[in-house]
Amino acid sequence: MDRPADIVCDTLVVGGGAAGVAAAAELCRAGLTVELAEQRPALGGAYYRQPAGRAAGMQAGDRRARQWSRLEDELRRAAVTPRLRHVFLGVDTDGLVLLDDRNGGRVRTVRTRAVIVAVGAVERVLPRPGWQLDGVVTAGGLQMLIKETGEAPRGDIVIAGNGPLAVALAADLARLGRPPVAVVEAGDPLARPLAALRMAAFPGLVAEAAAHLVRVRAAGTPWLRGSRLTSISREDGRLLASIEDRNGATRRIRADTVALHDGIRPNDFGLPATARGEPFVLRAGDCREALGVGAAEADGRAAAREAVALLTGTAPRRHAPEVSRQRRAQAVLGALFKPVRDDGGLAALPDETVLCRCEGRTVGQLRAMLTEPDPVGPREIKLNGRFGMGSCQGRFCADNVQALIAAARPGTVAGPLSRDRWPARPVLIAALAAEEETREE
Amino acid sequence: MSAGSFLWKGVAVPFREGESVAAALMRAGIRNLGRDGAGAGLRYFCGIGACQNCVVSVGGSVVEACLTPACEGMAVEAVEMAHG
Repeated sequence: MDRPADIVCDTLVVGGGAAGVAAAAELCRAGLTVELAEQRPALGGAYYRQPAGRAAGMQAGDRRARQWSRLEDELRRAAVTPRLRHVFLGVDTDGLVLLDDRNGGRVRTVRTRAVIVAVGAVERVLPRPGWQLDGVVTAGGLQMLIKETGEAPRGDIVIAGNGPLAVALAADLARLGRPPVAVVEAGDPLARPLAALRMAAFPGLVAEAAAHLVRVRAAGTPWLRGSRLTSISREDGRLLASIEDRNGATRRIRADTVALHDGIRPNDFGLPATARGEPFVLRAGDCREALGVGAAEADGRAAAREAVALLTGTAPRRHAPEVSRQRRAQAVLGALFKPVRDDGGLAALPDETVLCRCEGRTVGQLRAMLTEPDPVGPREIKLNGRFGMGSCQGRFCADNVQALIAAARPGTVAGPLSRDRWPARPVLIAALAAEEETREE
Repeated sequence: MSAGSFLWKGVAVPFREGESVAAALMRAGIRNLGRDGAGAGLRYFCGIGACQNCVVSVGGSVVEACLTPACEGMAVEAVEMAHG
């Protein structure tokens, strides 16, 4: 007997960003009933994050705003009413999807035939001494604040890490009249002429990057290429960032906010495995492959078509030329922004560097585990070392832990810290228990 | 501009319409959000509900400040749990 569920639908889409909204509209057009769950009080995801109250926010007359209103219109025509403030927890053993309804303060169950998970990306951030201090944020986190409030936090801002997002954020800040005091970049794109030539195949990206660079340059922000932010400390209530250039020379910059970013990766932690029986579970957008917003929309549509094929018993096929194009673009950007020094500084990190931000576990504690006489595996590192065990479920340490293991044991391949257990996000035991009780009644 | 205020540890913090608790706290210059059960400092970091570093207590529930809309008169407390 099927357990009764709070919500019954043909398909459920999790995540109201580009991939999820495109998937939901596509499913609806195919004649299926669709539920769309979004964790925030508004749709948009990270890229299309909407200004609070729709009043303030970044000037919305740009291409991004037009693209979003096109997606929103599509969703409206499809008559999909999103369930806002519903956080995806997982699929239970009865095949019911569990959503943490933050409006009602309870867990809701969904009986559906297919789930498209489109929960986006998380940023890669390399650990540095002091990255756990308050005032240190991710570049994406700072962008979210700017998009939401239309203003930058007070005081001086330093952006550091690797990849094109830093320059985009610097341009956003310059537009607000608040350019960062420095942008620290591990790569040196101006010294990669071959990659730059390959960029010519993506004129849209080139135009966007050029516009950002012109704005940042006009604001007088130094773009410190081939350099790394090696540590952050607190001094007189401000942050003091140490920056090392490619020749090993160090300079210090004072700031109130330090924004870090070393790329993006799929937010695929605690997600149910892709399932080939009802409920089918598919992934779409950045949480399947982190290629950015252009690929995400196309991938959402492709995932929806695949779900329709699965539900109607025809041969499923993922076909999305735009996703392939964006994959090529990301590969060229990766080559263009390739760090001048390759190790990301992990090997040189002092022992006291915090590795797990949730529980304050350090690089030294991991190194001690790795030099124990009996070799420890990923499972022991997680369960005994508590790396990847904190409330972010390894989102901000798993890759770094793995890289450190690989560095300590050259020639061996470190297995991933397991991350396939639901709930995908922390949930109040009481809320889960209340769901259990309704089930037993 | 201000839509109202909520209480952070009993002190009024103004917010604008539709804004998250995190955005209002940042504007007010409140960056240290307490200390969680594992002893790590709490603060705004990723802005997308992934890092769990900005959790606060609202009505007895631990929620991400960056995902939670500010409401008039809402009591927001720091998650201050004893370590161990």
